Amino acid sequence: MKRILKWAGIVVGSLLVLGFFSFLYFIPPFDFIPPEEFTRQTVGAAPSLDNITNPVERAIAERGKYIVTTLDCSGCHTPAGDEGPNWSQYLGGGSKSSFVGYQTYISRNLTPDKENGLGRRTDEEVKRVLRSGLLPEGRLAHYRDMPWAFTANLTDEDRHAVVVYLRHLKPVARRITDPMANETFADTTAAEMLYTLDYGIRQEKK
Amino acid sequence: MINLHRRSLATAVPLFGLALWALAAPQKSEREAPQAALGKSLYEANCAYCHGKEGKGDGPPAAILNPRPRDLSRGKFKFRSTESGSIPTDRDLENTITNGLQGTSMPDWKPFLRGDSLKAVIEYVKSFSVKFKNEKPKLVPLGAPTPATPSSIAAGKRVSEKLQCGKCHGDDGKGTGAIASDLKDEWGHETKATNLTEPWSFRGGTTARDLFLRFRTGIDGTPMPSYKGTASDGDMWNLANYVLSLGRKPVWSMNEQEVKEFYSKQSDFVRTKPVDWGKYLVNAWGCVYCHSPIRSDGSIVEEMRFTGGQRWNMYPFADVVSYNLTSHKETGLGDWTNEQLRTFLTKGVRRDGSRMVPFPMPWAAYASMKDDDLNAIIAFLRTLQPVYNKIPNPAKPNIFSYLWGKFRVLILKQDVTWHVYSGNAGQTKEKSLSENAIPAHTPKEVQP
Repeated sequence: MKRILKWAGIVVGSLLVLGFFSFLYFIPPFDFIPPEEFTRQTVGAAPSLDNITNPVERAIAERGKYIVTTLDCSGCHTPAGDEGPNWSQYLGGGSKSSFVGYQTYISRNLTPDKENGLGRRTDEEVKRVLRSGLLPEGRLAHYRDMPWAFTANLTDEDRHAVVVYLRHLKPVARRITDPMANETFADTTAAEMLYTLDYGIRQEKK
Repeated sequence: MINLHRRSLATAVPLFGLALWALAAPQKSEREAPQAALGKSLYEANCAYCHGKEGKGDGPPAAILNPRPRDLSRGKFKFRSTESGSIPTDRDLENTITNGLQGTSMPDWKPFLRGDSLKAVIEYVKSFSVKFKNEKPKLVPLGAPTPATPSSIAAGKRVSEKLQCGKCHGDDGKGTGAIASDLKDEWGHETKATNLTEPWSFRGGTTARDLFLRFRTGIDGTPMPSYKGTASDGDMWNLANYVLSLGRKPVWSMNEQEVKEFYSKQSDFVRTKPVDWGKYLVNAWGCVYCHSPIRSDGSIVEEMRFTGGQRWNMYPFADVVSYNLTSHKETGLGDWTNEQLRTFLTKGVRRDGSRMVPFPMPWAAYASMKDDDLNAIIAFLRTLQPVYNKIPNPAKPNIFSYLWGKFRVLILKQDVTWHVYSGNAGQTKEKSLSENAIPAHTPKEVQP
């Protein structure tokens, strides 16, 4: 009797362990979710522009939406959630990246929020960042963190369209901390590091 | 009490005088030093990132900026009010720094630099070239501006025909003439003739005076010559008026009909000139950012643009090396069909049917690209010269490390760090290409 119980315990135990491993194996989604689902989420997060009454502004904002979506600004500027990006805070900022010898940057809040987002910046200030990486406070952004060297290649008209579109996002009240001193690299041979998870999580713990 | 007060006053006055003298005396000899130190520190904090510490225009982003940051050490400046070949005046440098250069990555520093700081930076910039010590700027006489009357514009048109502006700038003023697309500047870098219908992107400014100066002084270091002697000052003022009259409305001041036409014309252009539009997309969407090896300072290895080889370790999900985008048959996109490329760009499914994680290459975002844009990108990639750079297959960590990583990220909610490596993780055949003074980095091949 004891022997049977012992064996049953071992079997149940190993099944539990195996089950836990396979549970782990089959969660995050990347290999198991069809590509169309990723696309649906990425594109679906962008707001509809149908309620803009001025037809000129709507046409320009549509072009801006196309650029912002296909350039994947949200890859860095949308915070990560439990499963992939947290789309309810679309372009709310908060991921972290750094380059050897430079500061660690937290991606900024791009929504028109008056206190934390681009609501407090003029069009010229936003365009200046897209063109030359010079941030509104007079500091330069590293071109590997904020790839301004590529948005500099957009025509002035396309950059204008991006700014017009960003003005029509849903405001997200999310404070982004200032850049911080470079942290020690886990891997000293690497040139650049990126934190994949939402920096907001760590921020809230502090 | 009064006595005491007087006595302290009596000692205080000479002491104060002494202090004043002490402050004033050393200033005469050391006056230059603080300004130079200020200029150096400001330059190194703000300018050196692009223009390089030695002013050679070789900072980390330099290789992918178009136009490149100015090489300050040669004393050759584009936008001046002085004769061709002469150094610019302080005023010219101040103008460039405070107002920036439209259509380039040189920003307007007006809100951040003024007064003594601005002067110190200008002096420091001048210290890079001995020309500023030995020469004096030769100012160009401006003459009297001609008002932009219809007759002046018509005269300007005749001048433009005589000077053959259309040879580079296109006869319609669009800068799309046959030669214009493969122009090279003195440094051997690609440069293109300015589109004269878009005055907001004229680098040296948009007023008739700015244009007159460009014709009169030339743009040193580029194929744009000085027309001194070929055309009279009056001709050049007329030409300035004519060029300004070519300007079209920018999209921000168009009405409904015009915006509609503008965007439909743009989609026509995508269809008729896919390679040109593809180049615009590839440059602005930054493919080269990941699809080239980088050095440890973050600059891309210029000779290996688009050859891939940049390693991204995204533990625990994937360890990938960016692919070779050149049209090399064996190692690049040479034998990929257009359909395979489209599937990869929009679904993240490789040729062999394996899936790519949705980062760092954002195929989920490219999925919403218009078909014409995708075709344009593919058409441009086909024009890249084939370069041999064999990219290793994507690696995954072993199963235990993979599960442990997932446990940390998804259950413990820990931050995991992704790393991007400098050096080429691919294998090149030509020695000259791999000898770029960067250590070749081979990723550990860990099979799942």
